[in-house]
Amino acid sequence: MSIDTHSHHDAHADGGHHEPPEVVDGRQRMAIWLFIGGDALTLGALFFTYLYLRGVNTSGHWMSMVGYPGPQLPGGHTWAYYTGQESLPEATTVVTGPLSAGLNWLGTLVTVVSAGFIWAAERALRVAKNKGSFTLLAGIGTLVALVAVFISFHQLAAVPQILSVHADNTVLAFTAYGSSMIIIIGSGLVHLMLLVFLGVGLTLRSVRGAISVENWYQSRLVRMFWVWVAISAVAISALTTTINTIH
Amino acid sequence: MTTTLEHKAPVIKHEGGGLARHQNFLTAMIGGVAGAFIAWAISHHFFAQDVRTTSDAVAVLTGCGWIVGFWLGIGALNAPLAWLIGSDQTRKDQLYYAGEDQGTKRYWKYCTDHKVVGVQYIVMTMVLLGAGGILAMAIRTELIVPGNHFVDQQVYNGFIAVHGMLMILALIVAVAGPWGNFVVPIMCGAKDMAFPRLNALSLWTLVGAAGLLLTTLAVGSLTMGWVVLAPITDQAGVGMDFFALAILVFTVSTTVAGVNTICTVFTMRTKGMTLERLPIMVWGAIIAAALGLYAFPYFSLVEALQILDRTFSTSFFIGNAGGTGWLQANLFWLMGHPEVYVILIPAVAAVFEIAAVMARKPVFSYRTAVAGMVGLAGLSILVWAHHMFTTGWAPTLGGPFMVTTELISIPTGLFFLVLIGTLWRGNIWMKLPTVWVFGFIANFIIAGITGIYLSDIPIDNQLHGTMFVTAHFHYVFVGSVLFGAIGALAFWYPKVTGRYLDEKLGRISFWLSFIGVQVTFLAMFISGLRGMPRRYASYAFIFEHTNFISTMGAYMIMAGMLVLMGAVIYCWNHGEPSGSNPWHANSLEWLVSTPPPLENFDVLPVVTEDPYNFGKELVRS
Ligand code: HEM
Ligand SMILES: [Cu+2]
Repeated sequence: MSIDTHSHHDAHADGGHHEPPEVVDGRQRMAIWLFIGGDALTLGALFFTYLYLRGVNTSGHWMSMVGYPGPQLPGGHTWAYYTGQESLPEATTVVTGPLSAGLNWLGTLVTVVSAGFIWAAERALRVAKNKGSFTLLAGIGTLVALVAVFISFHQLAAVPQILSVHADNTVLAFTAYGSSMIIIIGSGLVHLMLLVFLGVGLTLRSVRGAISVENWYQSRLVRMFWVWVAISAVAISALTTTINTIH
Repeated sequence: MTTTLEHKAPVIKHEGGGLARHQNFLTAMIGGVAGAFIAWAISHHFFAQDVRTTSDAVAVLTGCGWIVGFWLGIGALNAPLAWLIGSDQTRKDQLYYAGEDQGTKRYWKYCTDHKVVGVQYIVMTMVLLGAGGILAMAIRTELIVPGNHFVDQQVYNGFIAVHGMLMILALIVAVAGPWGNFVVPIMCGAKDMAFPRLNALSLWTLVGAAGLLLTTLAVGSLTMGWVVLAPITDQAGVGMDFFALAILVFTVSTTVAGVNTICTVFTMRTKGMTLERLPIMVWGAIIAAALGLYAFPYFSLVEALQILDRTFSTSFFIGNAGGTGWLQANLFWLMGHPEVYVILIPAVAAVFEIAAVMARKPVFSYRTAVAGMVGLAGLSILVWAHHMFTTGWAPTLGGPFMVTTELISIPTGLFFLVLIGTLWRGNIWMKLPTVWVFGFIANFIIAGITGIYLSDIPIDNQLHGTMFVTAHFHYVFVGSVLFGAIGALAFWYPKVTGRYLDEKLGRISFWLSFIGVQVTFLAMFISGLRGMPRRYASYAFIFEHTNFISTMGAYMIMAGMLVLMGAVIYCWNHGEPSGSNPWHANSLEWLVSTPPPLENFDVLPVVTEDPYNFGKELVRS
């Protein structure tokens, strides 16, 4: 390969990474898009899991434990629906219903609202060049995301457990539906916690001057990911509240 | 031929680094062990009541403690935490992280210089291959005669699983790790990878994952091969938890590495380095990276579900509670088949690169070569169910999957033609790298053709689960990928060390390995054709001779690998000096000094020609 070492003298050839911020930003945006792509595939695989288990409905156990023999433990054991409210319940075989659609959409709504705040924050910084409102809006968006975290925890706790009472031990199990909801909500939760981390970062950095009107690039990167998480929350709610029971 | 770029390092006194000054591999190990211990103690305390899942939950949390502690100890979390509180690294810090003026100490640290990471990957690959190789020897020794009792049978099962996964991980990084890091950025004319810190993160996360995988051996009880098929995994002991967690952590490493590689190539190329002027190795690196980004989400998901089933009493894969093992098989192979091409493609690209330089010819039909690799990657996502032909899953899909699998022979054929076309009538320089390339060609023919047999459903019904399959993919992995990887090592070793990998020792190693592969795996094909099942610790007397032969061949391969390892270690400081461009190649990595300076180029070069323009010059002397 012939190279011409004279014509192009890098202006910053002092050995530094002093590239213009737009160049660095372009590269970082590409990385965010790739991470979002990978994340979208993971979401696709989660949906595949959900729909596959519902589709095969092994022995009719998608949402029901009727006829479930239990794990092959020695000795007697029985199965019961357990909401976590009452003390050890009477042992019965049970059918569970879908999780609350309202709570599901509420969590999504809150996530979308938080994304709205972050978007507004980013615009305040990038377009309106108002750092004060950036800090405020980013802070509020982060708090809103924290609310979504709590809703997710609440949802997780509401997944009906099937309780096996065996001698002195209680053993939990989940239906295929419950299992799928655990992984879907759980993965959403991980995303939300990441958002909270990023949001706290944005706010603190702004307060400490690491983000400024000229240096707004990171806020857009965070906003891109945040919006993606909101979109995936909508997709999750749309799927899991419409296609769940089998009739 | 143009001159080597001289590097004049500016001498600056600096005091950057902060906490990183005290962090290295040792503190990482201490952090990991401490983290594991703390997590163990806490989780042990809290999960005391539930017998069925307790030990698993404790094991998983202990593993998490290990990885978090390891990250903290090595310094992986310094920058994210500093980011959080708004105190960014200064230029001095960056230079400290890049290992400036730290001599060999930087190889033990969270170093962001891509060349250091490349060398760390060389070492890591050798460690993983070494550990997997020791297990392979134990396995073949157990199988030397029927009814042998060299290792306990449960231990043997664990060896099979961990050998498989160690080797898979080792080969995923064997070419893309060392050379994707060391040479690809320089080939593009970049000063480093796009994200140097993520680069260090991918390397050290791999180290953490390897620690978890090796822990599996210590705690034992893996009974179901590297594919860890459900629902039998549900009965496995805590080894399975570490195994699944190791994979989860590993996928973090590959995802980060894949994003980094793609961003580097697409955004860091120097002036004049058009996509068509990229050395073919670069294409291999990004195609494999992209395929990895597609495949590994399934990998992490399937292992996350395994962990949930085992610790949280979910029922994804448990048939009698509404799950199904087929979900596991599908998710696993949705990842599994693309992953074998994540392994193969970088090796193929490296082989193209070596062939072009050593035959003094451009890569034959460069675009076909790229198209062949893209085609391989594209088709490989549509063939996963050929691993499930005999499971009874969706028999009606058997036909379509048979067709897609057999279609793969088209892009495979293309790349084969490219390789032959590149060498054809070339002025072939028969040095050590070239020798391994020829080994690759010979072995890959057998590997590919036996794959076509296996894709034929009636034949697969006979051969599935036998040693024939094992022989097939060992021709791919050992005969082809490993040979390609060793060729790449011999080729770029002079760039890393300034010295040749010893030609004589290298050739001894080659012949031992090449003959060893034929002896081991041709005999293994026969064992398989005669019906010997894979993964068993013992077998019937009719398989006696072929197994004995296989074991002898395996010892030969081991001897070859030991010679190679000796050569790699010895030549690092004592090999024959090679100068900066021993193969008279034209791509950028050869035009910088050896070893390349920190940040590679003082002045970013401008590229005016493609890298394979060798003209009429003869380089043989
Ligand atoms: C022309 C190309 C190829 C074809 C048609 C092909 C076909 C197949 C088929 C049908 C199987 C399933 C056999 C069974 O389990 O009964 C198989 C197994 C396997 N192949 Fe290939 N193959 C090809 C190339 C490769 C390559 C390039 C690799 C690796 C880079 C590879 C790695 C494997 C592995 C690891 C397995 C066994 C996995 C396991 O069950 O543990 N194959 N191949
Ligand atoms: Cu396959």
